[in-house]
Amino acid sequence: MKKHYLLIFTTILIINFFLPRFMPGDPFLYLSVDDGNVSVAYSEKQIEEYKAYYGLDRPLYIQFLNYIKGLLKGDLGYSIYYNISVLELIFTRLPWTLFIVLTSLLISSIIGVFLGTVSAYSRNGFLDKFAYFSMTVFSEIPSFLLGIFLLFIFAARLGLFPLAGGMTAFGNFQTKLYYLIDIIYHGTLPVLTLSLVKIGEFYLLARSSMLTVLSQDYIQTAKGKGLKKKRILFYHALRNGMPPIVARIFMSLGGLFGGAILVENVFSYPGVGRLMREAFLVRDYVLIQGILLIIAIMVLFFSYLSDVFCKKMDPRIG
Amino acid sequence: MKNKMKYILLMMVLLVALVGCKGIDEESNAGGDIGQSTKVDVLRLEGGDTGLPNPFKHTSRGPGMSKMQILYDSLLEKDENGNIPWLAQDWSISEDGTVYTFEIVENAFWHDGTPLTTEDIVFTFNYYRQHSPVSNELIVNGEYIVKEARRIDEKKVEIEIFSFDNTYINKIGFARILPQHIWEDVEDPKAYDGEDAAIGSGPYKLDTYNPQQGTYKYVAFEQYWGLEPVVSAIEWVPVGDRVMSFENEEISLINASADILDRYQSDDKYTVKSVPSYHSYRLMMNMEKVEELKDIHLRKAIAYGINRNQLIENVARGSATMSSMGYVPADSPWYNPHIEKYDFDLEKAKELLDGKTYSFKLLIGNAAEEAKIAELVKLDLANIGIEIQIESAETKARDDALKTGEFEILLINSGGMGGDPDYLRTIYAAAKNGRAAIAGYNNEEINSLSQKQAIERDEAKRKEMIDEMQAILADEVPIVMLYGAVDNFVYVTEKYDGWMFRYDHNKTDHNKLSYLIREK
Repeated sequence: MKKHYLLIFTTILIINFFLPRFMPGDPFLYLSVDDGNVSVAYSEKQIEEYKAYYGLDRPLYIQFLNYIKGLLKGDLGYSIYYNISVLELIFTRLPWTLFIVLTSLLISSIIGVFLGTVSAYSRNGFLDKFAYFSMTVFSEIPSFLLGIFLLFIFAARLGLFPLAGGMTAFGNFQTKLYYLIDIIYHGTLPVLTLSLVKIGEFYLLARSSMLTVLSQDYIQTAKGKGLKKKRILFYHALRNGMPPIVARIFMSLGGLFGGAILVENVFSYPGVGRLMREAFLVRDYVLIQGILLIIAIMVLFFSYLSDVFCKKMDPRIG
Repeated sequence: MKNKMKYILLMMVLLVALVGCKGIDEESNAGGDIGQSTKVDVLRLEGGDTGLPNPFKHTSRGPGMSKMQILYDSLLEKDENGNIPWLAQDWSISEDGTVYTFEIVENAFWHDGTPLTTEDIVFTFNYYRQHSPVSNELIVNGEYIVKEARRIDEKKVEIEIFSFDNTYINKIGFARILPQHIWEDVEDPKAYDGEDAAIGSGPYKLDTYNPQQGTYKYVAFEQYWGLEPVVSAIEWVPVGDRVMSFENEEISLINASADILDRYQSDDKYTVKSVPSYHSYRLMMNMEKVEELKDIHLRKAIAYGINRNQLIENVARGSATMSSMGYVPADSPWYNPHIEKYDFDLEKAKELLDGKTYSFKLLIGNAAEEAKIAELVKLDLANIGIEIQIESAETKARDDALKTGEFEILLINSGGMGGDPDYLRTIYAAAKNGRAAIAGYNNEEINSLSQKQAIERDEAKRKEMIDEMQAILADEVPIVMLYGAVDNFVYVTEKYDGWMFRYDHNKTDHNKLSYLIREK
């Protein structure tokens, strides 16, 4: 299994290096203006100087060797656009993304699995039909659309939540608790958006997994023994229906990062997603590479965890 | 039981969160409202990380550049009509035009309290020679234009340039002056991020910069020598949706799109200021690659055959102005009103084509507006027998194609059309090494006039040359100019109405003078 991961990681490294460089466009070339913005027009000489400064004037293989050398030293290079270290830039943004992604994963998986289990038990009943319908609808709404909708209702109209940002700008927090509360308050709508979008997926998976389990003989036996409904459902059935769900929870982290990019931009949330959009817009190769690499490592890590968990839960795997 | 307790606790935390945060918000807003019925004490604008605001580390776009410019003063400043004295209260130029003498204001200080001296100015022009700032106007054709910077005495400096050029006063006058005591020991200014890395001498000083949140807070600099800051603080805050943030009064100003303009125009509470963007959509023609495009009649036919009014109405929804085929915008004092206007004229276009038909590929970027323009252009040109195939590329790929010449006709929105008309030289004239600015276009008269106007010191004579250039360009149509967007700035009149528009740049929030009390 380890070899397998190493191979994937190496492939990612290579693609990650070459992909931004094969994208047409030059990070220092601004000929057009977008949304009425202005930008500095670099002279040819300045472009040459910058390329030399960032090492982009050297042959590709040398750039690649330097990149690998840097990586070994934990150096992801220097952002062309922001003029600061890429690692520093990413690590100041990553906690914000992790906060909303992991919180929404927790919320959506718990609620989704719970609803899915109950729904499967009362198959074809009113509850099942209602939940099935509403969950299918929710899982089909794009995250940014839902985000804008929530922003409009709860922030702009009702004023219950802030319109943007990860914390109160220039806030003077008397205690750490206030600071924490402020962060939770600002994270509520982004987390809610991501959770709502994700609940459907877990619901559907839990429902179908539980339907299979509930039709097994040992459930009939449990019923026959006169065990309580709650115990049958959440102890005997859920335990056996869990492996595919757990695997999905870990695997869906990658997708959630994708969702976070859109949601962070709607709420102007200070995470990696917002940074990534900016990096792509300005063709900041070094930064794009850094962000993709860190995300890839995290997705790989979670996928590894998923493998380990599934093995533990179901000894037949692996 | 344990689980139940956990849920109850979680609910309580959330409740406290809601209550607590309302409290924090009110506290942080309180300062802005006390005792100010007509004016605000704090101006809030759309934030976002645009880098550390010093000349070496700000990001390369408008918002990054302007934040730096508010902190760092220059020898001259710009108002609605032209250049005005700033750190240099007076300036003169030698007979031969190669030496500028600047007389510096007294009592200018750096934000750390150190006096600003003529040594700082000499140091700045020497330092930029070695270390290029992000926005570097001092390099022309690959050469640093300053030959020598000399301190004459405590008040005067001389800047000697290699040769005279009308645009050099702007390039020197707007270079941001650096504090010598901070930068003299810095070897790599792009990497320098010390505590004092954003110490300038401007009317506001940096108080807080949070790159993650994209927030900046500038506070008025009490020791400032010049015009008084109008607010005690300028704050840049994160904005998700501009309109929602503006209407909830989280920001003081927006650049509103044409779609929502009605709701502000019909409400007395708001002021709407519509100003040309100094950008223009244009069709670039590759006369090197496509032989047919060398035909002047064809280019003129395209110009007559496109209904540009319809583009303005349908694509820009009325919020745009027609661009001049002579390039210089109609609202510029350098505009020549006597050139051909190219009103939409199907018959004339057909006449010019004389029954010939053509087929071209039109390369566009991936913005929605570009696609709309391209579709309308395609329909219009089909009427005169020119078939257009639209190809859409990612914006940067399109820009790249323009540079490498990999296109037939190309649609692009470019800027830099405010201020001095010397841009005609960079847009149309071949460089001294003979390299054409427009693929396949080389007009000797344009080349020679663009060199001459650059060094003509008599403004009336220079205006004649610029007029002539516009006449030639309008006659030859090397670029089909379409329309330029108009920006609509909206603000609550009662709160603050000091927003100003510079003669060469229309983004009011980028202008230093927008934040200072000016004599009426």
